[in-house]
Amino acid sequence: MEEMIPLFEDEYAGQPAPKRVLAYMQKKQENDQPIVGTYCAYAPIEIMQAMGLTPAILCAFAKATIASAETVLPANLCPLIKSSYGFIQEGSCPFFSMAGAVVAETTCDGKKKMFELAAEVKPLHVMDLPQLPDEVEAKENWTRMIRKLQGFLEETFNRTATDLQIEESIKKSNKRNQLMRKIFDYAAIHPPVINWQEMFDISFMALPYDVDDAVPVLEGIIERLERRVAEGVHYGSQNSPRVLVTGSPVGGDALKIYKIIEQCGGVVVTPDCCTGLKLFAKDFEEDMADPAEALAKRYLQIPCSCMTPNEGRLEALSEMIEHFKPDAVIDFVLTACHSYNVESYKVGQYISEKHDMPFLKIETDYSDNDEGQIRTKVQALFEIID
Amino acid sequence: MGQHFAGIDIGSRTIELVIVDKAGTIIENFQRDTGYNPMSEVDSLLSQVSYDAIMATGYGRNLFELSIEARTVTEIKAHARGAMATFPGVRTVLDIGGQDSKVISLSETGRVSRFEMNDRCAAGTGKFLEIMAKSLGYRIEDFGNEALAAKKDITISSMCTVFAESEVTSLIGRGEDCREIALGLHDSVVRRVSGMIRRVSATDAGELVFTGGVARNPCIRMLLERTLDREIQVAEDPQLIGAYGAALLALESALQ
Ligand code: SF4
Ligand code: SF4
Repeated sequence: MEEMIPLFEDEYAGQPAPKRVLAYMQKKQENDQPIVGTYCAYAPIEIMQAMGLTPAILCAFAKATIASAETVLPANLCPLIKSSYGFIQEGSCPFFSMAGAVVAETTCDGKKKMFELAAEVKPLHVMDLPQLPDEVEAKENWTRMIRKLQGFLEETFNRTATDLQIEESIKKSNKRNQLMRKIFDYAAIHPPVINWQEMFDISFMALPYDVDDAVPVLEGIIERLERRVAEGVHYGSQNSPRVLVTGSPVGGDALKIYKIIEQCGGVVVTPDCCTGLKLFAKDFEEDMADPAEALAKRYLQIPCSCMTPNEGRLEALSEMIEHFKPDAVIDFVLTACHSYNVESYKVGQYISEKHDMPFLKIETDYSDNDEGQIRTKVQALFEIID
Repeated sequence: MGQHFAGIDIGSRTIELVIVDKAGTIIENFQRDTGYNPMSEVDSLLSQVSYDAIMATGYGRNLFELSIEARTVTEIKAHARGAMATFPGVRTVLDIGGQDSKVISLSETGRVSRFEMNDRCAAGTGKFLEIMAKSLGYRIEDFGNEALAAKKDITISSMCTVFAESEVTSLIGRGEDCREIALGLHDSVVRRVSGMIRRVSATDAGELVFTGGVARNPCIRMLLERTLDREIQVAEDPQLIGAYGAALLALESALQ
């Protein structure tokens, strides 16, 4: 393969994504921009950014901390929750240590109850997330929760945010989202000129960065992607199976799923999860009378399986299939993630019936002892395609 | 003329080798235990035969690919191909092997359209039956017939191998009939795989072919037919189907 132009031109190029973000956070903290930890895509980071706080996405993807978490938590719990809690308990997540407070939401039951334990370690604010986002009350309630969060942050950090500042923050996020979509578009090209690792690293950076800091980096990335296009370099070949990966959040040790797809000769053209496209897929409505309502409206559109019904996920899948033209869909389900696991049946039916596309569900955790089995499944899926 | 094509299925328990001629007819076959050093078993098997092209399948296929120049194919495609050649009317394949169980749904033309494979646990696999036979003191070869001799079955509620084993121990302790326990254990495997069959092939169209070593177990066959209320087909040597399919695929790719 020809030489790939690296997308990041900094000293962290080629290193694990968290290093870059950690260095950034440290700088922010020194510049009097305190850190707020978040765990979920529903955390309205615009509120934090509007008052000069820096959101940090907390560690949840390493198997290393699971053993110690299991001294407190049941072993048959989702690895993401165990890993998160293990980091808290061991004090080994630098992001968590830096955070002055943590924002949590009532998503799945396991996480909700884990937050009760985490609250003993750090000031933790739980937002009551509506589970029926299509109900009329949902938006109103979530708007109120966002305002309540604002109150909590104002008090904890002794800062304020005006509606004007929130509106500004919304506009900035829209700008970032547009750039992110433009970057993901390079995966829609046949064959793709961006790979899963790059999409992951960029998402990992773009979300917690102050948009003013992220924009020049993202623009630089787009420029370099353009150069790749001009030079005709790409990942995989014309025949590489194109895969849309949907489901539970993917990161750290769970990245094995992307790696195996690549080792089997495939390319990931859409990472449809909370550490992928999900957060950048849609914009906020600008200049609404109440900017908190604009936030609520957008956040409730996240097609998370904790919601019911979650028809938005099927619509989003159709849009992504149209746009990224995958050859197959893999539904990645973390062990004991009941909501994604149950929903998988519906997603599978939809993909086969509506799109007549091969579908594979892979249920796994962060350990690596089932890699051979996953490889067989992915290879068999690819055999169906050709 | 006289060209030979080999298919080798390197499973977790056994290795099968099938040689076919240009017409796809089996001319030789071999089977042996995988043992602790699969590659040396493979080498000694292959030294007995000659062939023009070879295709490897089974969970050891990637290991094989590294040491010998050979193309590989997944067990799923190999079993589908072998079952199709044996029973042209096949639309669903159930393969229960040592470590894995899988259900494959085929299109009318014999292409794989969907499949499901168990996750890492041993429930519903040959391994499960092996462990249970041992805990009841039966030889695995006799296990199915012993279970068939039971008058009634005892429901085993644990799907997990470890829990099922202790359930068996306590049933023995309570003085329950070993054959009845055996029937219950067979039933637990059948419950598991029939769920997979219903998920993967929603219709009863075409034939259901049962492949892999466990297909030789008469009790599993009987219970499956009863549970699914449909006839199942089993080849004479069901454990050879994967290697046979691989040999046919070696032949076909050589002709291309
Ligand atoms: S999957 Fe749902 S609960 Fe999990 S991070 Fe995403 S939005 Fe939050
Ligand atoms: S992966 Fe599933 S179970 Fe785990 S925290 Fe997210 S929603 Fe909850």
